[in-house]
Amino acid sequence: MGRETYLKKIYGEEAYKNLKSKTILMVGAGGIGCELIKDLMLSGYSSIHIVDLDTITLSNLNRQFLFRQKDIDQSKSKTICEAVQSFNYFDCKLTSQHGNIMDTKQFPISWWRQFDMIYNALDNLEARRFVNQMCLFLGKPLIESGTTGYQGQVQPIFPYLSECFECQAKVTPKTFPVCTIRSTPSQPVHCITWAKDFLFVQLFDDSTAATGSELSHVTNQDSQDNDELETLKKELSELQGLRNLFESGNKELASILVEDIFVKDIARLLRIDALWKLRAKPIPLEYNKEDLEKLLMDNKSLEILSNDTQMWSVVENVYVLYKSLQALQDRYKVDPKIPISFDKDDEDTLNFVVSSANLRSHVFGIEIKSKFDIKQIAGNIIPAIATTNSIISGFSSLAGIRAQIGDKIDISKHLTTYISIKPNKYITSASLVPPNHKCASCSLVRKGIARCSIGTTKLSQLLQLVCKRYGYVEDATSIIIGKSKLVYDMDFDDNLETSLEDLGVFNGQVILIQDDDDNLENLELLIEDKKGEAILPNIQLRKKTTIITAEPGGLNDINDDHLKTVESENGDTMIVIDEDDESEIEEMTIDTDGVHAISSKNGDGKVDESFLDDVIEIEDLDDYGPATKKQRLH
Amino acid sequence: MVTVNDTLVKVTMTGGLTKEEIALYDRQIRLWGMDTQLRLRSFKLLLINVGGIGTEIVKNLVLGGLHSIELLDDSKVKEEDYSSQFFLPKEEKAIGEVKLPLIVESIKELNLRVELTINIKSLDQLLADSPEYFSEFNLVIGTELTKQQMIKLNDICRGNQVPVYFTGLHGLFGYIFTDLIQHEATCEWDTGNQQRKPGTQLNHVKQIIKIELGGNGKELVTIKDNFNKISDIFHSKQLPHQLNNRQLKRLSGALPIIFALLEIERPENPESILAHNDLKGKALDICKALNIPSSIITDEYVELFTRNAFTEFSPVAAIIGGCLAQDVIQMISKKESPINNVLILDSIKSEMPIYAL
Repeated sequence: MGRETYLKKIYGEEAYKNLKSKTILMVGAGGIGCELIKDLMLSGYSSIHIVDLDTITLSNLNRQFLFRQKDIDQSKSKTICEAVQSFNYFDCKLTSQHGNIMDTKQFPISWWRQFDMIYNALDNLEARRFVNQMCLFLGKPLIESGTTGYQGQVQPIFPYLSECFECQAKVTPKTFPVCTIRSTPSQPVHCITWAKDFLFVQLFDDSTAATGSELSHVTNQDSQDNDELETLKKELSELQGLRNLFESGNKELASILVEDIFVKDIARLLRIDALWKLRAKPIPLEYNKEDLEKLLMDNKSLEILSNDTQMWSVVENVYVLYKSLQALQDRYKVDPKIPISFDKDDEDTLNFVVSSANLRSHVFGIEIKSKFDIKQIAGNIIPAIATTNSIISGFSSLAGIRAQIGDKIDISKHLTTYISIKPNKYITSASLVPPNHKCASCSLVRKGIARCSIGTTKLSQLLQLVCKRYGYVEDATSIIIGKSKLVYDMDFDDNLETSLEDLGVFNGQVILIQDDDDNLENLELLIEDKKGEAILPNIQLRKKTTIITAEPGGLNDINDDHLKTVESENGDTMIVIDEDDESEIEEMTIDTDGVHAISSKNGDGKVDESFLDDVIEIEDLDDYGPATKKQRLH
Repeated sequence: MVTVNDTLVKVTMTGGLTKEEIALYDRQIRLWGMDTQLRLRSFKLLLINVGGIGTEIVKNLVLGGLHSIELLDDSKVKEEDYSSQFFLPKEEKAIGEVKLPLIVESIKELNLRVELTINIKSLDQLLADSPEYFSEFNLVIGTELTKQQMIKLNDICRGNQVPVYFTGLHGLFGYIFTDLIQHEATCEWDTGNQQRKPGTQLNHVKQIIKIELGGNGKELVTIKDNFNKISDIFHSKQLPHQLNNRQLKRLSGALPIIFALLEIERPENPESILAHNDLKGKALDICKALNIPSSIITDEYVELFTRNAFTEFSPVAAIIGGCLAQDVIQMISKKESPINNVLILDSIKSEMPIYAL
């Protein structure tokens, strides 16, 4: 067919035929997903499954080009599947499912087996980790990708051959000391955190998070100052009173709350001299009550609520606080069972957080922010644009195609790619490296899928099978179901004649086999309940000693003395790997595909600038990238 | 993230954007600011040829929210267009029909706020008879043009101070050439350990001309870019000055081969494969003209290009189209220094070097 002319020329007939025979899964149908599905379909894949749990919102439409205004509130997976039909030129078979990829009922292990490869197009760490784990169990390649603003990255993962998603530590969200939030804020973000995670939760949120919130339990670990501890405890009991007023629908709630929280509490804090020795003192809230009355009387004032980009004055913030409290109280009155929790797209909750954060900022002499800005911080909004997603999806599909038609065993031929815009280049690529031998997901334990009938297989049978198959010794082995349920070890053989099912094993459960002599690596078996003879995964377990001495994976093994931080011309901090042997460096740079981070030290100890443009810098990809991307070279 | 917030604080001129626009463009405004969104909204663009890469560019820029985009393309739909031109109607009967009227409505749907017009006149005719046509636009993007068309169009546009981007695909490879004549961008950078100084050349076409103190440990660094004419890049002797011997030796053959392909006419038959020796000979001539080692022209790469030349491939169109559209937006925003002036995508090596030729 003429439509395939170009694909056949680019791949070659054989490789194209090979690609067409694959069934792949794309997890996520959002920013990356919309771009990726287009590239995958037009690259010639003939069977693609799509899973997403989300629905479409207005703010998706600036980049998720397969969605329209009329699709708002519709399921992403369903809509994307219909939208792409308009360019389904190669009759690709598309299957979409609306659901959470982590739902093992909807997506049991038997479902996962059908795929030759998995493309991630996700926006959160939890699901990424889950899919990574599944690919480790399945032993199937995963193409991982992520974007933030102008930044983006693609990482192909070949289980046990290259680094998995967990091999490098991920950035964790920044947290603040409790006392900074509760008594001594100095930045807008402190006040926003206070409004959202403390005040809001204490007043409205019924979930366990409210009572268990770290911010509500101040101990002498948080502060040495007994006066401060006392004051904070008093505040908390006062909030319980306000909560009762809220629930009883008391009309005076707003004025009492403003007085209690922004005047009395502040006055009480002021009495603790120790807090203000080195800090500017807060000033209890003052505003013109007549102006507030005027605003409250005038219906036109409601426009303030949707004035997202302008700074509200103090009295306007009080007004918004009044209005949001009233709206939330009304909601509670209609149905107290509907929980009120913070959601950036729930206007009433956002208005409450914005106005109370701003009033606290004002009291502490911190700048007031617009609703638009506070929404970003409180809602953890990550800026996202079509172009970055387009570029990263392009590289993601290329990486997958390479994995399908290229050499899977030689991982050095596969590349991880980052966007990194410089005067002399747009991206940086580096060869994949072997797993980090300290990785808890793929190095300290080997994973596989075992098929057996849980109703008829006895623990003793499983034990004998794994010992025979992998070389464990029966009386030096323990078996643990799930996270911590020990069912067998050398001193505990009571369960041997019990079936797996009676021991609590269910379809999809993970069983850990552990060598108590520390000879063989541990094995995690995901149990697939299936009638017939038990089938164990066809994998070779390594001796623990060989894992430790194996070629190091991540950078953990590089002595810090060999790392040098330098400034690039545009001020980015970069880590330069400073190898001792210059001749070796020459060899490495010339022989490798892609660009690799290398620098050398000249005799005089200065960093050789000519190497700088080949250095990989540290990038901060929120929720995605390793904490510091010190890329290991060959 | 911090950078983003800081930018937002500074922008107070939000008057121009409507609430609906702010809601729709929320995620990108948080990246490039209200001021850039306003600039985009008053920008008029001409995009020449809507092939695989043109499709990606127009998608990205319509989503971005430009004021108006005119599409200029007189081509008729061919069977092989279906490899990456995803606005084409699926029906076979479209083949042989003029392309633009068939796709314009689907493109409009992406963002009704953008004024999208089509022009099915011949580019060569316009170049010959109506050069003033091109001066109506703030920017001209030419895709899959011949070398003669690029040079002619660049001359006309330079005369009217209209910047140009040229781009094209060859299967796994692609290129972007830029001539923005002159450009100044004020970037917000972290203050480094070493003090930056005005007058510093970042390379021979990018110079820091001003440094001001920004808030939060940031500096506002103004970079001035000077661009060469497109006709000059094909015989530029700059590369040996920009790259050291090691870098010259491992230069991808893609650059000279892509230049060589501009000397070869696009074959009528999409299935035909280029003559190896002819392409290799022309690529070697380019190496001489650019003063770069001929050893980078390997038979493996020439062979690859004989098959990849003039083909379209969706992932590569997405990368180059994304990269070009983003550079256009950053050029309009004046907050980042643009690509100056030759970018090559080599997806075999997974490289995207930028050369200042």
